[in-house]
Amino acid sequence: MTSRIPSAETVLRVVSIQRFSLQDGPGIRTTVFLQGCPLHCPWCANPESRPLHPVQRHSVGKCSRCLRCAAVCPEGCIQPGPDGFPSFDRKSCIGCGTCEKTCPGGAISVSGKPMTVREIMETVGRDTDYYRNSGGGVTFSGGEPLLQPEGLMDLLEAAKDQGIDTAIETCGNVPTERILQAAPLTGLFLFDIKHDDPVVLKKVTGGDADLIFRNLAALSGTGRKVIARVPCIPGFNLEENVLRDIYTRIAACGIGTVRLLPYHTYGVDKYRELSLPYTFPRKGIGNEDLEAFVQMGRRMGLDVQPW
Amino acid sequence: MAIFNIETAQNVEISKKIPCEKPLLEQLEIMERYTSVYKARLGSSKEMREAACLEVLYPTLFRHIQDQDLIAGRLDFLPIGFGCVTSLGGVGHYCVFRKLKAFRAQLPEEERHRVDTLYRYWEDHDLKTTYNKETLREGVLGMFIDTEYPMIATARLSGMMLDYPTLLSLGIGGLRERIAGRLREDPGNEFLQAGLLCLDIFVRSAEALKQDALSQRAAATPERAAELARMAEVLEKIKEDAPSTFPEALQLLWLYALLAGVINYGRLDDFLGPFLANDLASGALTEQEAYRYVKSLWTLIENRRTTVNGRIIVGGRGRKHPKEADIFLHIAMKVARDCRYVEPQFTLRLDKDTSEEIWDEALDALGAGATYPTLYNDDVEVPAVAYGMRIDEKAAEQYVPFGCTEFVIQGQSTGTPNICINLLKILTIYMNGGVDPEDGIRKDGGVPIKPLSEYRTFEEFYDGYKKLLDFYLDLSAQAQYHSYEVMNREVAFLFTSLLMDDCIARGKALLDGGVRYLGGTNETYGNINASDSLLAVKTLVFDRKKYTLEQVGAAMLANFEGYEALRADCLRCDKYGNDLDTADSMADDLYRFVAKGVRDRGIAVGMQYFLIVISNNQLNTEWGLKTGASPDGRLRGMYMNPANNPQGGADKNGPTAMLNSLTRFDARYHAGSVQNIKFTPGMFNRHRDVIKSLFKTYFARGGCHLMVTVVDHGVLEDAVKHPENYPNLIVRVSGFSAVFVDLSPEIQQELLSRVLYDEQNSLR
Repeated sequence: MTSRIPSAETVLRVVSIQRFSLQDGPGIRTTVFLQGCPLHCPWCANPESRPLHPVQRHSVGKCSRCLRCAAVCPEGCIQPGPDGFPSFDRKSCIGCGTCEKTCPGGAISVSGKPMTVREIMETVGRDTDYYRNSGGGVTFSGGEPLLQPEGLMDLLEAAKDQGIDTAIETCGNVPTERILQAAPLTGLFLFDIKHDDPVVLKKVTGGDADLIFRNLAALSGTGRKVIARVPCIPGFNLEENVLRDIYTRIAACGIGTVRLLPYHTYGVDKYRELSLPYTFPRKGIGNEDLEAFVQMGRRMGLDVQPW
Repeated sequence: MAIFNIETAQNVEISKKIPCEKPLLEQLEIMERYTSVYKARLGSSKEMREAACLEVLYPTLFRHIQDQDLIAGRLDFLPIGFGCVTSLGGVGHYCVFRKLKAFRAQLPEEERHRVDTLYRYWEDHDLKTTYNKETLREGVLGMFIDTEYPMIATARLSGMMLDYPTLLSLGIGGLRERIAGRLREDPGNEFLQAGLLCLDIFVRSAEALKQDALSQRAAATPERAAELARMAEVLEKIKEDAPSTFPEALQLLWLYALLAGVINYGRLDDFLGPFLANDLASGALTEQEAYRYVKSLWTLIENRRTTVNGRIIVGGRGRKHPKEADIFLHIAMKVARDCRYVEPQFTLRLDKDTSEEIWDEALDALGAGATYPTLYNDDVEVPAVAYGMRIDEKAAEQYVPFGCTEFVIQGQSTGTPNICINLLKILTIYMNGGVDPEDGIRKDGGVPIKPLSEYRTFEEFYDGYKKLLDFYLDLSAQAQYHSYEVMNREVAFLFTSLLMDDCIARGKALLDGGVRYLGGTNETYGNINASDSLLAVKTLVFDRKKYTLEQVGAAMLANFEGYEALRADCLRCDKYGNDLDTADSMADDLYRFVAKGVRDRGIAVGMQYFLIVISNNQLNTEWGLKTGASPDGRLRGMYMNPANNPQGGADKNGPTAMLNSLTRFDARYHAGSVQNIKFTPGMFNRHRDVIKSLFKTYFARGGCHLMVTVVDHGVLEDAVKHPENYPNLIVRVSGFSAVFVDLSPEIQQELLSRVLYDEQNSLR
């Protein structure tokens, strides 16, 4: 990979591009959500971004059961299903978006459509001066952006060429060399840490805690700006001893800035649209619920705030 | 001539007027007296007739000074009288027939015949009715505000902002001397003679108010008695002398504005700042007292209840006393934030050098939900105004927005919008062979229109629409110009003319050749629905060939019933407001055609300028109710897009994308373009730095203007259900602010349809 020549024609699978995004780094940003994630966190607000391949979301409330989608799908992966609603073979979707374009009620949206670096940067580049004046930039998120390493490197190169600051949101569960390769072109890493216990993490999310902390340490060694972000999930990690251990591990990696993300449930509807079960509580928490954990982190010498 | 109903409401009236203080029979007597003086003076010059009629009205129509007033002067209006604008009384020698009829209903039975006599007389003499008789055309040009028509016209003199600096430096005595001096050179000039009579009216009015102030002292608290005594002294002083203190300057300006019937006030910071600075420096006023004076002015303006006017402008280029002006500006910002009135329409002009302090004050007021100040970007507007109005940049620096947003040059130009045109309705007529699908009436003005089956290319189709627009644009320039001719035939607008360049020097009333720049404006509606519709036709019919033009036409006539899939395709076509070159370029192309077309025609007809304003009151909703379904997917009767914002809900890419689309229109071809944006308090107040850089970047990119509403999720929805809980909820409708619960259900729905930017737009 090291000798690749950056190309604007590299194709990536894209969940969506969110402009005027304020949650994914400082200032005014555009966030490019890329398809595919190595983890399957059951609270994830973007479950459509998990598979590497495209998937169709289907909103029953907007569906008139006209089945035009089934008629037009070139891959035959939409069929009449129970109660007259379409049924989706989500593994076979190629992300052409024909069903989405055809549906009269707007009930279908396809996640993971292919876009070239040029196409992505055409949208990102439209707000360049907003980024500059607000200390913002582009954030590559997902999914896990480092699952599409070639495309991501090309995006980072293109952003650099256009003078746009970059950030990456990562779960850290990727080969270390990918992170190190991206580091020189990345202004800020938002590095998610979910649990310190390898067994629990593996069981709930499929993640490899040792790899993740190794990557955090390696990244810390590059001197790039890194913020460790901890999604605070009741029933998973929102306990004093778990947070303490997480803080300890983060500090041991040489990272001093931690942001806590309160659990929310804005993604619940998407599970229904993907025919997936949602197993976590239906009620989010607020910054006030994090106060004790913030204080604990500060006592440990970390810069901790709610995100 | 078109048949029209003279009792049609002639303007937008959301704010409820304060009823006349005088008993009904006294009101009737005043109207009778006015009518008989008018009749007796029919043989006189228009100037002398006007002065004589004004003598009937003033000081008679002044209300009593109210307890909280620190400045004297409140006026009543009767259904018959004299005025400049439709929102206060009427235009010229007017009769508002609808209100006269309502007045009649309140009278005892035996007195009603007196009203009938007046009604019949004014049917032949009301200025606006005269204009309507001469100008309106069946099927194509209706009266204000008859939304059955694709274009409407009126005669009025809106948006005058007077040369107050001259008034404040000369005083009434100095002005009198200037007029008298000209009269010595031009004896017999009746404009100048009548002007002197007006100054006498001013003096008598000041005297009457002074007597009122003095007579109220006895029953007042010692504190209030002292205020009244001071008020009386001020009124005595300004009868002749130039003002030397802030209260005197304020009083002079206010009383003159009332008598002139003007409802926009201009760059008060620059005129009043030096007086204020002096008084603060000398200790004559404390800052707290200054605040109270400014607040009193705010209250008096609010109480005039013009709905869409009451502009006070601060900041910006071309101020003569920027340092002193900023002192006024800072106090005014606090007053605007604290009062949260719908008027005055407090306006901040800014540029790249505007201080952070002023930015912060403005954002604080907006963040508190005041909807003020509205923001205008001088870096764009000044050169644009210079080009659009064909004046130099120095003169353009004195541009001021009035009403919903239209610009005039303070003390130098007229800019009244006497025409409104509905571009979308014209498109629906065009696509139905020249017949309005709403009522089956032919409204093509004789322009030949081909059947939909005969268009082979999009360009051909678009050209046909442009030909029909050409007909309307021609008519708009003629109708605007004729409004000036009719007004000039009947009236001189004396008080206004005396403070407009170059009326005294030329010895002529402003519409008689007196005003330096005779300009005008044309309000366009449905711009974005029309351009989005054109793009949908281009995309679906000519590019993708998914439907025929006849199918689209049939779907429109059926209000898309039975054409749901076609409508879904229409809705899915690219829409303006998303920073997409397809939709934004189409919008820009139509904008250029209309804006340049209007401008060129204005110049040809002999005006200094005639420019479109993409302003908006609530007419986008009301006209939408009478406009057929359109190819952008909009249903029949649905509101149209507000000003040059996207159709409510059509913009899905967030505020930067929406603002980028807004910057597409070249500001040189319009005289104001209303641009609204709506945030939740959480978004606006917790991310203040982001908001500030959003606005600043937008302006640096060529954005000309912003009107900002800050309101929380669910609040407007709840206010629809429980209006009683929201008596003070202020929203920006478009070119004006209003108490939300005073708006009609349709307008409330249009406001709800607009995108509200919040913090929850990107979540992992």
